[in-house]
Amino acid sequence: MIDEADLESSSDAEMSYELSAELREALDGLRGEISARFPVRERALVEKIDWMSVIQQIQRRVSTLGMSERSGQVDEFGMDEVVLRRARPLLDLLYERYWRIELHGIDWVPDTGPCLFVANRSGFLPYDGLMVSHSIWRMRSNLQPRFMVADWLITLPFVQPYLVRLGGVRACRENAERLIRSGEPVLVFPEGQKGAAKVFRDRYRLKRFGRGGVVRVALETRVPIIPIGIVGPEEAHPILFKWNAPARAVGLPFLPVTPTFPLLGPLGLLPLPTKWVIRIGEPISIDHLAPDAVRDELLISRMNEELRSTIQVLIDTGLSDRGSVWD
Amino acid sequence: MNSPGVIAITGLSSYLGRSLVQRLLQRSPALRIVGLDQRRPYRLDPLVRFHSVDLTEPTADSRVAEVFAEERVEAVVHTAFRSEPTADLEMDHELETIGSLHVMNACAAAKVKRLVVASSTMLYGAWPDNPNFLTEQHPLRGHPGSHSVSNRIQVESLLANWRARNPDTELTVLRNCWIFGPTYWDHVVRYFSRPFVPKLMGYDPLMQFVHEEDCVYAFETAALRSHPGVFNVVGRGVLPLSTILRIAGKRILAMPPRILYRMTYYPSHGQTGDRPEGFYDYLRYLWVADGQRGWDAFGEPMYTTREAWMSFISTRRMRRYR
Repeated sequence: MIDEADLESSSDAEMSYELSAELREALDGLRGEISARFPVRERALVEKIDWMSVIQQIQRRVSTLGMSERSGQVDEFGMDEVVLRRARPLLDLLYERYWRIELHGIDWVPDTGPCLFVANRSGFLPYDGLMVSHSIWRMRSNLQPRFMVADWLITLPFVQPYLVRLGGVRACRENAERLIRSGEPVLVFPEGQKGAAKVFRDRYRLKRFGRGGVVRVALETRVPIIPIGIVGPEEAHPILFKWNAPARAVGLPFLPVTPTFPLLGPLGLLPLPTKWVIRIGEPISIDHLAPDAVRDELLISRMNEELRSTIQVLIDTGLSDRGSVWD
Repeated sequence: MNSPGVIAITGLSSYLGRSLVQRLLQRSPALRIVGLDQRRPYRLDPLVRFHSVDLTEPTADSRVAEVFAEERVEAVVHTAFRSEPTADLEMDHELETIGSLHVMNACAAAKVKRLVVASSTMLYGAWPDNPNFLTEQHPLRGHPGSHSVSNRIQVESLLANWRARNPDTELTVLRNCWIFGPTYWDHVVRYFSRPFVPKLMGYDPLMQFVHEEDCVYAFETAALRSHPGVFNVVGRGVLPLSTILRIAGKRILAMPPRILYRMTYYPSHGQTGDRPEGFYDYLRYLWVADGQRGWDAFGEPMYTTREAWMSFISTRRMRRYR
């Protein structure tokens, strides 16, 4: 609030100041010296801070900090949209720069609706499930396949919370059928732990596909099976041999020994930047089969074997497409 | 039989018995309510005809049968179970397993037309190989470390036998998950009410709760209408344990399982008579039940898991995050 009287007096003050410039200089110097010797102002500033409000503010920040990287609500299998959205840039980086993934045959994937993706499993940690799920989501934004994870991995401490939030589901028939019935696409790895524990010399040779559970799920829920062959993750975690004695002590099914893993400690768990090729094959339709085909065990095992050979062909094609492991 | 004229409730002092009485008095004034318990509850409504029965006595079955015959009871709701585990294992077994057997036999002798028994989804057990949603058909594996769960499993197997021998009685078994709400209190609620909550490091299972009102409503409907069979009584939706604790602004003490089990070994034995695994494994692995059958029978629950938890922490003024 400045009124005219004040303005006049201030112009007067300016005049008088100009008149005594020397005096002003001297005063300024004196003032500077005083403030340098007795830092009164700073001390007052420190005293003015309301420590209680600062503490309250910090407390509030801390109590909401844990919630900032996740949403307060998850879907019924525990996937957290916020965590997934925050992980997308990292997954994109892995997709484009780290593994330079080539995706073939995306035209076979329907735009919406439930379907059953079947792929080969390799590598110790489920990077393949995460990346296939992400690459399908990149091309079909309303499809986010839920990848199935083996028991020992989905209950592994410290890994379990993140896998579940990123969309991993424990591999079992009840879960697969429930997901498909609620309209979600599912990505399964019928080789299971045998695939994850494959040693380097057996790479890209598919193991037994369980006991036909995948085909059974497809027949129960009447959805098409889409085969996927993944080339690359085998070399990202080249398991030289398995070391079982220490694994049992910590409750793991096996301890993989890779060129880097126990040697470099946890750093050795980082996958190598190999070149990946994901090849999606023609869907195997089951529409021509009768609904009671679920009880035909011979048919199921035959379809299971066909599925396995289809994926083996996809892998072999992918291998011949790829120049070298690194490119 | 659709709506019974006389209902007997065992375990009047338990939360379920108490709130069921209140609810039935308000909503079905024509109904006659008979209450059985060891001691007369404080401030019991005078309309309730109370009989003092100790289910742990050897002749409790004939005493209960006398009461049922005398009052011409048509439906029985059996809620005489402990809400707090006790270190007195023998007494617990006598009350929960043998007491339930007495009530079952009395129902058979008095030709009661309907029996509703409270059970729990904890009986499925928390195991690493559980599917994400446990249906009513899933085997009851329980937990070897929890004697109250083992007792309840014995009750369920006795009930299965009993049902085969008494096909004329409608038997309803309601398995509810952990109950939360403004007034409910048991050992689980006590665990979640602490400001510092111990948790197993590296594990973050999905949890599922049911609101107390939805639970009591399911019991009321099961008592008044015909719904034979086994039902899971759970809320919709799931939440990770860490999110639940963070919403309430708890300080989480994450500890490696072995250290936590070692530290809580003696306190746990003193309070519950069990090893700590009997409780903490339920915070380690998944044991979420599929409630679709219950929702179809008793209607959509009013509260989801999140809303049940919110209603609990809002009443206790623990809410930190919205």
